[in-house]
Amino acid sequence: MNLLFGLSPFLAVGVGALLLMLAEAFGKPNVAPGVETTDAGAGRAGELALGAAVILVIGAVLSVAVWVAGPESLPELTQVAPHLVIDKFTLFFSFTLCVGGALAALLAGGYLPEHGIDRSEFFPLLLLSTVGAMALSAAGDLLTLFVALETMSLGVYSLIGLRRGSPRAAEAALKYFLLGSFAAAIMLFGLALLYGATGHTDLAGIGAAVRSIGSPGSTVSAGKILISLVLVLVGLAFKVSAVPFHQWTPDAYEGAPTPAATYMAVAVKSAAFAVLLRVLLVGFGDERLASWGAGWPPALAVLAVLSMTVANLVAGRQESVKRMLAYSSIAHAGYALVGVVAAMRSPEAVSAVAFYLLAYTVSTAGAFGALILCGSRGAEAVSYEDLAGVGKRHPAAALAFSLFLFSLAGLPPTAGFFGKLYVFRTAIDSGLYTLAILGLVNSVIGAYYYLRVMVYLYMREPAPGAPRAVTMRSGFVATALVAAAIFVLLLGMAPGFTLDMASGAALTAR
Amino acid sequence: MQSWIPVLVYLAIASSVGVVMLGAARVLRVRARHVPPTRAATYECGEEPAGKAWIRFHPRYYLVALVFVLFDVETVFLAPWALATRALGGYAVVEMVVFVAVLLLGWVYAWRKGALRWQ
Amino acid sequence: MSAFGHVLEHYVLVATLIFGIGCVGFLVRRNVLVQLMSIELMLNAVNLALVAYDREQGAGSTGQTFAFFVIAVAAAEVAVGLAIILAFYRLRGTVDGDVADTLRH
Repeated sequence: MNLLFGLSPFLAVGVGALLLMLAEAFGKPNVAPGVETTDAGAGRAGELALGAAVILVIGAVLSVAVWVAGPESLPELTQVAPHLVIDKFTLFFSFTLCVGGALAALLAGGYLPEHGIDRSEFFPLLLLSTVGAMALSAAGDLLTLFVALETMSLGVYSLIGLRRGSPRAAEAALKYFLLGSFAAAIMLFGLALLYGATGHTDLAGIGAAVRSIGSPGSTVSAGKILISLVLVLVGLAFKVSAVPFHQWTPDAYEGAPTPAATYMAVAVKSAAFAVLLRVLLVGFGDERLASWGAGWPPALAVLAVLSMTVANLVAGRQESVKRMLAYSSIAHAGYALVGVVAAMRSPEAVSAVAFYLLAYTVSTAGAFGALILCGSRGAEAVSYEDLAGVGKRHPAAALAFSLFLFSLAGLPPTAGFFGKLYVFRTAIDSGLYTLAILGLVNSVIGAYYYLRVMVYLYMREPAPGAPRAVTMRSGFVATALVAAAIFVLLLGMAPGFTLDMASGAALTAR
Repeated sequence: MQSWIPVLVYLAIASSVGVVMLGAARVLRVRARHVPPTRAATYECGEEPAGKAWIRFHPRYYLVALVFVLFDVETVFLAPWALATRALGGYAVVEMVVFVAVLLLGWVYAWRKGALRWQ
Repeated sequence: MSAFGHVLEHYVLVATLIFGIGCVGFLVRRNVLVQLMSIELMLNAVNLALVAYDREQGAGSTGQTFAFFVIAVAAAEVAVGLAIILAFYRLRGTVDGDVADTLRH
């Protein structure tokens, strides 16, 4: 019984995904009379979106429930370890992933019907992919890691390409699929080498074997460990879209339906960071590898600086707001990587990254949602010009957009402010002054392009004769925006509770 | 170095077989003044081929093939399970039933979505 | 290390070579179908390495189990990949990856 309770967040979303699949396949198509369809899911995006959101909210609530009950008081959970490690770290991330997934599902409930994308497969795919993401955050074994990573990714590849007859969507899906599978194959080779060098597939066993290098009687080859570390880092850097493994990101986000881009930006990134932290701290947590002199921290520091700087410089020059948000997500991967580097010295850095990703999830989902709200059928808001004057015509949409942009820029009193504050503070506590300063400078640069959106929202009028953006009306999108806004403000004004939860998560990662 | 000699011998024999066969065919072939049209046909005595072999297959073949491959590959888990069931005990049977049930769900989904329909 | 140790290096060498061929194939070729095949080649190279390492470890069969999962995942990946390539081909009439350039700044 305790085992079932401990696994309940995963079971809820997993079984829920299967039930939603059946519901989609066996329902009655909701089409205009006289229209023949063989697709049982036709025209039912609304109810399926609601179902998916409810299942994911249940998953989030159960994550909190198990967190409160304390996974350490459920000894039965060791039965599923190391394949699934259910600790507070896992539960915090599974909460984040469920929230991100639920927001994406709600956005899709409004977006897909509005833009005539009648693909109800979106929702079962979204849930199945979320199960993969949750399992990835819990993976304590290379086997689970690989299978979960692919479960998550295969769902996302399909989500991107769902729009029928759109060359851009097909192209985005193709690019992401090819590069994603290539990166996964490279990582898999690293995992196989790791298994060959240590004889273990569980991260704890690998960590112990790595620590034994150099001690008498150890047959573990340091060279192989280093090669596999590089290969695994390349694979995961691709998934979190860190520069220079980011080229696919803007293209995939631009071609994908916006809710799918939202899901990629929030869930895929958070899950990849969760597994990155666990692999580095548990598998490669040896003092020699987790040090500034050698090992992964300097490599990640380079990735962090490149991600922040390059993404911020390029984001400012984008004409498409969607592409700008894509580059912004790369920059945020850079900020979070600063926290990952700091995790080599301070356990608090892990909780800072976890908190940062939750803040990033709600802010990014909100920003994409506001962008969705600013467009309507046939006239999706894409460029800055499309947003001109929205502040006067649709104050609520503009207000929500501004709130999420504030949070992404890291201004108080929003979630993003505290996220950045904690990450940079742990970096300073760990003695990484240069990284922290570079992060701060980049945040200031980043504020430029977020504020540029607000300039267009409030201070520009559309050029005479230019098509005016008409905002769409959708209860789903509105619900998602309100929920995200509540999270952003709650995390920004009263971060204590969530931060306590996050710091509980930190203790168990090492 | 000595251990590589068998490999070299093997390579030499393998390549000479090909060369000898092609060369023999060239030397021994019968040169006909006029090649009868039946000799040049794909099947000298058999059905006349209709159209070219390089035709575009209808996507429904592709869909059915994909569904087949997906379910076919899942047997990769059944074989080792069958060998190990006795050692693993009753719990393994339950697990496999769950696994097959999930697969069955996938099949039902494919069926309901019309992936198996052959119009 | 078991007596398999000396032979192991050969298997790993072959696996690395095949993996490298797949890598180069992916990076050099522009036909997306060939790129997909190159990725499959890389996954199969990993399978070879996994099974060889499994033999070396002796006890248990973690590596073989891992290889089974890789096979299943690879099949799912091909299914999704071919569907995406087919969608791309229907819309663009080609499988040349260089044609995929409408998404630029």
